[in-house]
Amino acid sequence: MAFNTFRESIRDKVLATLLVFAALVMGSARVIQPLALGEESKIIKDLGLSAIALFCVLIAVLVGGRIVYKEVEKRTIYIVLSKPVRRWEFIFGKYFGLLAVLFVSLVVMTLLFYLILFVLRVDGSAYLLWSVLMTLMELAVLTAVAVLFSAFTTPITGAVFTFAVYFVGHLTRDLRLLAAMSPSPVVKLVSQFLYYVLPNFANFNIRGEVVNNALLDPSALMLAVLYAAVYTATLLFISVAIFNRKEF
Amino acid sequence: MLEEVTERPVPAAAGPLARLLPIVLVLWGFVGAYLLQLSLDRAGEGRVREKVIQELAYFPSGRFIRQVAIEYRELAADLVWLRAIQYYGHHLMTDRRYEWLGHVFEILTTLDQRFIGAYHFGAITLAWDARQPTEALNLLFSGMKANPMAWQLPFDAAFISYMVSRDYETAGVLFDIASRLPGAWLITRRWAAVARAKAGDYETARQMWVEMYNATENKRLRELVVRQLRNLRLTETLDRLQRAVDRFQEDRRRLPAGLDELAATGYVDGVPERDPYGGRYFLDDGKVRTTTPPGARD
Repeated sequence: MAFNTFRESIRDKVLATLLVFAALVMGSARVIQPLALGEESKIIKDLGLSAIALFCVLIAVLVGGRIVYKEVEKRTIYIVLSKPVRRWEFIFGKYFGLLAVLFVSLVVMTLLFYLILFVLRVDGSAYLLWSVLMTLMELAVLTAVAVLFSAFTTPITGAVFTFAVYFVGHLTRDLRLLAAMSPSPVVKLVSQFLYYVLPNFANFNIRGEVVNNALLDPSALMLAVLYAAVYTATLLFISVAIFNRKEF
Repeated sequence: MLEEVTERPVPAAAGPLARLLPIVLVLWGFVGAYLLQLSLDRAGEGRVREKVIQELAYFPSGRFIRQVAIEYRELAADLVWLRAIQYYGHHLMTDRRYEWLGHVFEILTTLDQRFIGAYHFGAITLAWDARQPTEALNLLFSGMKANPMAWQLPFDAAFISYMVSRDYETAGVLFDIASRLPGAWLITRRWAAVARAKAGDYETARQMWVEMYNATENKRLRELVVRQLRNLRLTETLDRLQRAVDRFQEDRRRLPAGLDELAATGYVDGVPERDPYGGRYFLDDGKVRTTTPPGARD
């Protein structure tokens, strides 16, 4: 199931288009280089790592948003489920198939990024790869969000919801701040609830640290990887539960 | 019915002029748009300066952009950096007024608190070009809080305290802090001692500027250093000549007739033909001056 999903998604025109755009954005670093006044290295690395994250997020949202729905719409779901494939296997297969696509996209973009660093003679140490690894963790959670919405909504609604969760997931620290500052116990409770329920994507953003060669906290990295695993497993469990209740 | 149709007159084939008409109209359209754009560009040129100020006045706060930019804050900071350079360059070439420079660098460093290059360039240009040393020091102190291991920030703060504020005690403490951080220039420790001794000599100042020049690849910053070195040479020469005049007056109970007399009597080795801006040194009622007015200096 995962392999089939991977094969189908890798042929998707959206994926190819986004990869081309990512290449163009990273390549545009060449134009920015003479304007940067001594900060070329930082700007090129920021641009490259941000483009990798942004375009992988777009792939997860746009391809992931219709991954389950497409099977229902084309009625291929009936064929799949008539075979000895359990519903949880179907969801997990879709999830890991899409994650494999994202992994391949991430690897392609990272290779391209290092190639650009090499061509522009910018020091590209392996330290930057920590940021790429954390982007993969972020994508693991976001793909689970996309698969969850895909299990019960249309592609457009699913994409909008996934993008909304992605955006809010980067601002959850403000919810904690709101909980700390608000005098109302209801607001406190709701803010704290949302803070822990919504995915905290800020845990995975270490681009500032790696680009500026700042020290990384190994325990924080380990915890972030663990957080991604636990959160993803929870979302997949919910997706399976919703999918099990659907009648085909 | 068929007859009616066949009886209708067949439209005459369009002549060559009629066939050219659409092409001519399209060409005219493009020419018109081109001429209008030229006029709009000419009208806009006069408003460029005003526009720069307006744009920055409504430039959103760093905290707002920080929220909107979510995980792309560093990239947003890079865009503000390009904007800051544009703003600085524009005013450097025109009126040399840098009203919004502090605001822009505050936004920039709020977005990316680890952007050491932005603290460095922002503080130096604020202190020397915008003549706002307090704002420059505040920028550096906020940078030191966010980056306690970056030696460049206490170093820059020490440099500004030493050269602009003439607060040698603070400069000494800050040079000392910088010298203890990893990667600091070895010479920083010596400068800590010089600052503590309150020896505001020209040679140390020159060394500091030269080190700063060698350490940066920022073209604008290098230009600023060259301007400051030129100013330093002028101030040093004025100071040297003034001390010679004072000594002459003390010894001979009269003022020298001119600067040439100082050289002729051995009070100075020689008087430079020209100052670094092309002006001449002269004696005006016991005070050494130059024909280059202060406004013409960098």
